[in-house]
Amino acid sequence: MFTKSDLAKYPFIPEASKFVKDLDIKIDELANPEYRSVLNRAQERIEEAIQDALVSRKLHNYGIEIPSFPIAIMMVVALANSYIKKRYALAEAKGVYHQLEAEDSEKIIEIAKNFDWNIKLIEDGSTGIYDFSLHFTNFLKNGTVFRDEKWKLVNRVMLQGDVFLTKSEASRLLQEEVQRYIEGKLNVKIDFLPPNIMERVEQLKQLLIEKGGKFRSESLPKTVVNAAFPPCIRELYDNIKSGHHLSHIGRFALTSFLINIGMTVETVVDLFRSFSDFDERMTRYQVEHIAGEKGGRTKYIPPRCDTLRTHGVCVSTDNICRRIHHPLAYYRRKLRSVKKVVIKPQKE
Amino acid sequence: MRMGSSLSFVRNKFAEYYRSNSSFIQPPTSIEKREFGFLLLKERFMLRHRSFENVGVLRSFLKTTVPSDAYYSGAYYERPEEKMEEKGWLGADLIFDIDADHIPTPCDKNHDSWVCKNCGTVDKGLPPEKCPECGEQKFDEKTWPCEVCLETAKAETLKLIDILSKDFGFSLEEMRVSFSGHRGYHLHIEHEQVREMDQMARKEIVDYVVGIGLEATLHGLEKTSFDNRSRILVGPNLDENGWRGRIARGTYEFLLTATLEDLKRIDLKRHVVKTLLDQRESLLESWKEKGPWGKMKNVGVESWKKIALHGAQRQAAKIDTVVTTDIHRLIRLSNSLHGKTGFKKINVPIRGIEDFDPFKGAVAFKDGSVTVFVSDSPKLRVGEQIYEPFKEQKVELPTAAALLLLCKGAATVVE
Repeated sequence: MFTKSDLAKYPFIPEASKFVKDLDIKIDELANPEYRSVLNRAQERIEEAIQDALVSRKLHNYGIEIPSFPIAIMMVVALANSYIKKRYALAEAKGVYHQLEAEDSEKIIEIAKNFDWNIKLIEDGSTGIYDFSLHFTNFLKNGTVFRDEKWKLVNRVMLQGDVFLTKSEASRLLQEEVQRYIEGKLNVKIDFLPPNIMERVEQLKQLLIEKGGKFRSESLPKTVVNAAFPPCIRELYDNIKSGHHLSHIGRFALTSFLINIGMTVETVVDLFRSFSDFDERMTRYQVEHIAGEKGGRTKYIPPRCDTLRTHGVCVSTDNICRRIHHPLAYYRRKLRSVKKVVIKPQKE
Repeated sequence: MRMGSSLSFVRNKFAEYYRSNSSFIQPPTSIEKREFGFLLLKERFMLRHRSFENVGVLRSFLKTTVPSDAYYSGAYYERPEEKMEEKGWLGADLIFDIDADHIPTPCDKNHDSWVCKNCGTVDKGLPPEKCPECGEQKFDEKTWPCEVCLETAKAETLKLIDILSKDFGFSLEEMRVSFSGHRGYHLHIEHEQVREMDQMARKEIVDYVVGIGLEATLHGLEKTSFDNRSRILVGPNLDENGWRGRIARGTYEFLLTATLEDLKRIDLKRHVVKTLLDQRESLLESWKEKGPWGKMKNVGVESWKKIALHGAQRQAAKIDTVVTTDIHRLIRLSNSLHGKTGFKKINVPIRGIEDFDPFKGAVAFKDGSVTVFVSDSPKLRVGEQIYEPFKEQKVELPTAAALLLLCKGAATVVE
């Protein structure tokens, strides 16, 4: 059973929605002074998300805390900004994680069942450090975003389809589930909100702009710096330069990498020209497709390191490889050290 | 001899097969949500994006079109006949492919041959990286189904079944194993729970099965202290579940057979190699208790990690990684013919897989014979009959054997 305090901690569960529904708040009444503190708290949730990427829990007044969640959701939707949607969902989910870690196991199971998790309590203590077993499909739905080796399925203890988890690990996986759930809630359209709420939305927009500078990611230089290629791309690049054939995934990794670091379609097509069976029209079409100039209009990014490893494209690793998980991240990082070298004039 | 008479012979035989056997073509579940694809025999053209309301329509299509190969999607779509982007992906079965092409086999593929597309140089085995004559890298390969290759593929399939049942919890009834009709085996799982898995999740399953990213230190290889005394190295044991047990068993097998060269190849220090070889007997004995991990003072955790990972590789199932992660893949329809052999793809009962003989079970044509002129063929078996290599000779063969040679382009029909 969930207490009122539980509903304040986990405002996404159906019992919390029912609690809010029973309050029978009408949208056009939100301007009334009685809702002021609920609106304050809703706005604060989003501010916390922007500032700290973590929404706190104020459990002493659940009558405010619980309805502030759906109202915050409306405000985030009204902000119509994909960055804040992601950040807000993350910040709420992180808040949930902190609560879950301190819960007893039965409560975690109750929350997990909300998301149709096939999760069981391990009671006999035969498995040492583990508290739960979770079906591998639920595990994979939430666990593939993690980079640490301990989250790879191959490094888990799995028996008869069930992956063994500690309480902290189960909570962390639930965080992902909650984040996705909230992101889904934010993907709706709202036609009308009362002016006093729109005012608050405007304030949040300002805050977002002030903070904006910090969030913008570094952009890549316009010229291609070969010296900053990761080992896998270097190998593919050297192979193609010397006329060796590449696997399908190798060609895709190389082409999408080069396009993403700013090489032109023309230059990439030229790379393939040395082949005896070079077909200009076909090659150009494929490269343009990857560049997002043809077909689906999406620009493809190269596969992640672990995907390249699975398909045998990752040949050797160096110090930078150990710290990144994507060939483009390698390039970005290596650029910082390469830049210094490039500026110096080289003696021939 | 008229060109094309071989092709029409093959077509007639394939047509005959589908006329009298189409009732054996079983529909995949939710046939109306699957995409079908067919390789056309004469045109060598791939007809894609077809869909069928029910198995009756599919069967009569096979009878009238007579494709050389028939495929359906592991995926379920809202509109399977539309273009890829507009199909509306609903989910996909979990599919594994074990193909002799991806496995090193004891026969070294000496039955296969390659021709350099540039200068025409020909040789046996796998094609080299570069043509030794002209340096070009494009080859036409001729591969053959071989007993040794298929036994190796079967052994990999058994390892896969073991992992999928013990670790992933699939029952033998939930797994369907089939012989592809050429060089390998397929394993197909239609379970509701796996359908919606995305590519990342499937990639994790591949990595699990193949042992990619495996860390021995996350499977019990670690330093621990007992009773506050000095820390000693412990590791997984032979009878443990999952990868723990596989690491232990792989390590045991490796220590049992490893030569000086094997140990050097995995980059162990010279004194470690010497210790392992000198102490082989006592290391193997140690498995009766806690295993060899803490036994040798000068073999540390880094060395054991290398040994364990190498040993674990023998326990992994060598699947074609691309097939499992591709959520739009087309796979061969069971009981349809394989255009490269004239054999049929057939389901293999998991409980009887050890005794399954692909060269008998997959034979689709049991009657008749035909005289063919064979240019070049390796030693082959079809059914009970063994055929020694043929070279530039005219020979009368049973239909199935003749079809294999015809489909491979190694023979022509003599009129």
